[in-house]
Amino acid sequence: MRKFLLFLLAFVLLASVAYASPVKLVVVGDAGHNLKPFEWYAKDLKEKFDVELEVIGVPFGELYEKEKVELIAGTGAFDIMIVYPKFLAEFAANGWLYPLDEFVAKLDPKLDDVTPGYRDFYCKYGGKLYALPYDGDVLSLYYRKDLLENEEERKAFKEKYGYDLKVPETWDEYLDVAEFFTRKAGEKLAGEVLQRDFYGTAYYGQKDQIFAWWGNIFASLGGVYFDEETMEPAINSEAGVKALEIMKEIHKYCPPDVLAYGYEELKDVFLNGDCFMVIQWPCVGKKGADPAQSKIVGKIGVSHVPGVKKDGEIYYRAMMPCGRVLAIAAQSKDPWKAYQVIHYLSVVTSLDDVSTPETGLDPYRYSHFAHPEAYEMFANVEDAKIYLAGVQKNMEKGYPEMVLPGTVEYEETLGVALTRALTGELDPKSALDEAAQAWRDILERFGKEQQKALYQELVKGWRAVGLW
Amino acid sequence: MGGLRKRDWWIAFFFVLPVVVILLAISIFPMMYSFYLSLCKWDIGMGGQRTFIGAGNYLRLFSDARFFNSLKNTGRVLLFGVGAQFALGLSLALLLNRSFRGRSLVVTLFLLPMMISPVVVGCIWKIIYHYQYGPLNYLLNRFGFRSVNWLGSSNVSPYSIVLADIWEWTPFMVITLLAGLQAIPDDLYEAARVDGANRWQIFSGVVFPLLRPVVVIAILIRVMDAFKIFDLVVLLTMGGPGQASESVAFYNYLTGFKYFSMGYASAMSYVQLAVIVAIANVFLRSFRGREVV
Repeated sequence: MRKFLLFLLAFVLLASVAYASPVKLVVVGDAGHNLKPFEWYAKDLKEKFDVELEVIGVPFGELYEKEKVELIAGTGAFDIMIVYPKFLAEFAANGWLYPLDEFVAKLDPKLDDVTPGYRDFYCKYGGKLYALPYDGDVLSLYYRKDLLENEEERKAFKEKYGYDLKVPETWDEYLDVAEFFTRKAGEKLAGEVLQRDFYGTAYYGQKDQIFAWWGNIFASLGGVYFDEETMEPAINSEAGVKALEIMKEIHKYCPPDVLAYGYEELKDVFLNGDCFMVIQWPCVGKKGADPAQSKIVGKIGVSHVPGVKKDGEIYYRAMMPCGRVLAIAAQSKDPWKAYQVIHYLSVVTSLDDVSTPETGLDPYRYSHFAHPEAYEMFANVEDAKIYLAGVQKNMEKGYPEMVLPGTVEYEETLGVALTRALTGELDPKSALDEAAQAWRDILERFGKEQQKALYQELVKGWRAVGLW
Repeated sequence: MGGLRKRDWWIAFFFVLPVVVILLAISIFPMMYSFYLSLCKWDIGMGGQRTFIGAGNYLRLFSDARFFNSLKNTGRVLLFGVGAQFALGLSLALLLNRSFRGRSLVVTLFLLPMMISPVVVGCIWKIIYHYQYGPLNYLLNRFGFRSVNWLGSSNVSPYSIVLADIWEWTPFMVITLLAGLQAIPDDLYEAARVDGANRWQIFSGVVFPLLRPVVVIAILIRVMDAFKIFDLVVLLTMGGPGQASESVAFYNYLTGFKYFSMGYASAMSYVQLAVIVAIANVFLRSFRGREVV
């Protein structure tokens, strides 16, 4: 009897310990600076919601396949997933994500505070909410304002091009400025002899995201992804070919290895002071103000991406590639607790997370833009205001990334074609015709009618918020 | 006697059974299943239905320019990479096949590249190849040459992968061929010298024929391994610029795990298998004809 009581006591104790232990939630995302908030707040989250986080980081370019393999296999390996919006439609359509609408009434994610692009297209699918925003990506133009204001350079520019040196507003001006600032080692730049080559500009050259740098030009020329009625790919239109021709011109003023550039290389070439201007994600502006990461602190200006002049006005469109949202796997062990965690990061701590140079997370809420004082890496509040105004200007004219099932493949096949034209392997028209054919094949594989319905729905939504 | 034999048979059967079951589960079944998949259209991007299409995927492969491009790049690694590894490996093995002070240390140092994790090798070479700050271009500039666009040029990047592969795997050739050289009895060298053979005659008439079986195995292992080259491609170029440096294994990975066309990816795997089996057979046959008696 005594033995039995002891056994019972031990069992109750063990059971209570097991019951009292926090719920373990597995988080997956692209490794590096954007997973830091999960580490910073792990203790808070444990205390507040009784959850323990296991964070799994995978390389930036491999997140899609890592997540999808587990989701297809139904392993239930993840609870919380950082998802790029371009995967969201596919994941949601397959029933792999947990719809969040039921939680919204219980714990308000303050979606009215989120800018329309991120709220309506990057977090929702088929009218349901599947994610909360985490990172507001839009491309902006970053340039060296110290060089732009240099009297010697201004004089030389005016002599050569016949107009004043200024932040380029059109692609023609962008080419002039890029050409002007491209110098060899031994030449002078702002009165100093260059120790190494200096480049006018650079871009993201790897095939997974290069479409967005071409897309800035394509969109400003009025390009669209597909013909809405026929679903015929429109990337090989006149606008597409012209955009690629402009990109080939830009390529001349870039570092020779620019086609190997990903995010890090593009950030480094600018922040190391080897390049006059880049079109980049907003985090580069923050990191550029951090002496630990930048050699050009206080010398960076930000503006809208260039465009084309129409009826006396500049028509520009800034691509909104990447972005990050927080979703919950349909097979999560505890969706409610997982929701509380993503709510905490998307609502409670988001201003802290987007205003530090330690993450790559960028503003996406109106409240993020309303608090320039939070961006302490800038020398003063005025600088922070200029940075935020520049980013917001691009966001208002944002050109949404496609979020159809198959987007990863659409973008990569387009990337391959763009690169083949930039290396001179194919002429722009042939390269884009090839990409258009690849898009037709993908359309067929994913179901043309279904894709058409989704695309039309997307375009309708983009139009409703003025992004199309 | 018969009964005893029957009992022995059953004991043997139960001893072997677990191995057979494991082999069937982890090797035979997946092979048969993947072959079946190669005959199906199965795009799981949208949970697609599996449809039997016979040789459709194999026919699609023959019109896929990207696949042939990846085969060409892989062939480049086999030809130039494994070729150089063999030439360098044999030369170094001959140099190391003599007694000198510190020989063990030198041999150990030679093995280091092979012992380093492939991911680290990729990262090291990415730094070495950096256009602006890489030590390789720095050295070229110091000697009056222009910087080379190692990773951003479609003409150069496939060879940059080959060069890194040579650095990583030459030690394998060195150590294998050195072991082969050390197995050749000293008497044979002495006999050849007594017969008046010079160094070249000793190498071509005695050493190389006796080393040939080791050479065949070493090259075959490297060829099979290099045919699957993946890590250096991912770490150095991601197959770029564009698709300029994509290997077959990398393209196969993209097809299977990025585009999720499982049937097509399976067919690609089987074609790879057929190619490598064919290469191995041709290679073994050509050497078998010249075996030393």
